[in-house]
Amino acid sequence: MTELKKFFSLVLRNTKYYFKDKVSFFMSLITPLILLVLYVTFLKNVYIQSFEAAFPEGFTVDDRIVNGIAGAWLMSSILSVSAVTVAFCSNLVMVEDKIQSAINDFRVSPIKSTTVSLAYFASNFFVTFIVLMVTMCIGHIYLAAVGWYINAGDFFMIIVDCICGILFGTLLAGIVGNFIKTQGSVSAVDTLVSSMYGFICGAYMPISSFSKGLQNVLSLLPGTYSVGIMRTHYMGGYLTALSDAGVPAEAIEGIKDGFDANLYVFGNSVPLGAMYAILLGTCAVLLAAFIAIVILKSKRK
Amino acid sequence: MIIEIENLKKSFKDVTAVDGISFKVKEGELFSFLGVNGAGKSTTINIISGILGKDGGTVKVCGHDIDNEAAEIKRNIGIVFQNSVLDKKLSVYDNLKSRASFYGVFGQEFKSRLEEICELLDLGDILKRQLDKLSGGQKRRIDIARALLHKPKLLILDEPTTGLDPKTRITVWGVVDKLRKETGLTVFLTTHYMEEASESDYVVIIDSGKIAAEGTPHDLKNAYASDFIKFYNHRDEAEKFFKERGYICKNERDFTEVELKGTAEAAEFVKQSPQLFDDFEILKGNMDNVFLKVTGKDLKGV
Repeated sequence: MTELKKFFSLVLRNTKYYFKDKVSFFMSLITPLILLVLYVTFLKNVYIQSFEAAFPEGFTVDDRIVNGIAGAWLMSSILSVSAVTVAFCSNLVMVEDKIQSAINDFRVSPIKSTTVSLAYFASNFFVTFIVLMVTMCIGHIYLAAVGWYINAGDFFMIIVDCICGILFGTLLAGIVGNFIKTQGSVSAVDTLVSSMYGFICGAYMPISSFSKGLQNVLSLLPGTYSVGIMRTHYMGGYLTALSDAGVPAEAIEGIKDGFDANLYVFGNSVPLGAMYAILLGTCAVLLAAFIAIVILKSKRK
Repeated sequence: MIIEIENLKKSFKDVTAVDGISFKVKEGELFSFLGVNGAGKSTTINIISGILGKDGGTVKVCGHDIDNEAAEIKRNIGIVFQNSVLDKKLSVYDNLKSRASFYGVFGQEFKSRLEEICELLDLGDILKRQLDKLSGGQKRRIDIARALLHKPKLLILDEPTTGLDPKTRITVWGVVDKLRKETGLTVFLTTHYMEEASESDYVVIIDSGKIAAEGTPHDLKNAYASDFIKFYNHRDEAEKFFKERGYICKNERDFTEVELKGTAEAAEFVKQSPQLFDDFEILKGNMDNVFLKVTGKDLKGV
């Protein structure tokens, strides 16, 4: 019981520490917001044209649906990528404690090193969740302005998808953070993750636009399915609206294939349940690895 | 005994940091552990406090063995690190609250303990301030407060005054002296300032991982330190006088210094050549001299 209270106290300390540094919080938040602004300013029309190209020739749909589905596609990209990139950015409390030797203050105290590690994980999860929810609120204000077709069930599932993505990102960041000891390596890892992750999980460009070989490679990465589940729920309401507007089923399937709401492994379709199973299964493996590293480190002095 | 260390050994790859040292610290005493950087002081402290594991030997603190009862030892130790390890971005209150929780001190117990510490260290007006915004002396007081939150029996001060200005050093020592008087706390000190070590009850000097000398400051001075005589007038005559008798003279800007075996010898020379001694002083050897004699190394500037 006391160890649990120590755990919560440390989670509170880590979270306060993170939010006290306004620059860190701002930097975590600014990356997804920059993507949103870049989209609205430069890319919006490109995506809209891509969606419209999937409609039968001469067929027109309400602008609110087309603008909305393009925005929703982007929101699914931003949130699924941010779940990982923000987790890496906000993991800096763990790394700073090592760099500034605060970790020694924990080591001389009667608190278990496993409690300390789990508190880092929990606070990172919490911080990333807050940043993602703020980003989501801003994004949804934009979607409400251009065209809102997300139903309550999908909205709820988007939050669940965020939680799954954050779990994946936080575990990954926690494992990597255990091996980082300098400010330089933190920056290097953050830069690498921020610049690469969006592409390798198919968030910035639809996987369907890549070569077959690359599509197969990307379909083996669990991050792809974090994007996939988010796409399904963000686009679901809009696809229904398109169907209601008379867009043929083949055209809708074409949109789902072209914009990664449908995912394929070596040509075989991956159902939504399987996407969750792959993502959560990966989280379970990462959790086991994280716990193993924490236990091994606690035994080694 | 509050600390009992027997044949402690620790190596880092090919480097032997601690090479079979043994010493004891009595309850309630001010114990100084001296050595140049890299002598093995911090390694020993890190082993005692549970940060590092050891390669050999036994370590007992408050009767608990470090191998089997590390958590119990940690409950009895408070450490002030050389550089503050508290959270600079958080307030003093938040820092103390989070650290107290590590020892299971929560709620009302924390509040009453905080009141005691605030009174002892005069922290009342800075509790809500961010650690970053405090002066060096205030930060040191917070470090000491953090180390005392759980009422430890042993306070380890790892170079607590290094880098502080003289006034702040006096403030820090005022706090430590008050603590010792009021609570009978045992203090384990490492320092580069020999005038601080000279106030100790017992001193251990470590060099290259081994104990080079130990004893009370008085015993060590008697065993290793010489007396000095300084001439401000008649410097040339004094130098000639002592060189003829085989002594080594050191010329400084304002005086000539001669190292003697003891005060009695100095008195004898005054009797022999009173004309030389119209402006002079005799100085007892200090802990700086002891350290230099024992290790062959000067602590100034390390």
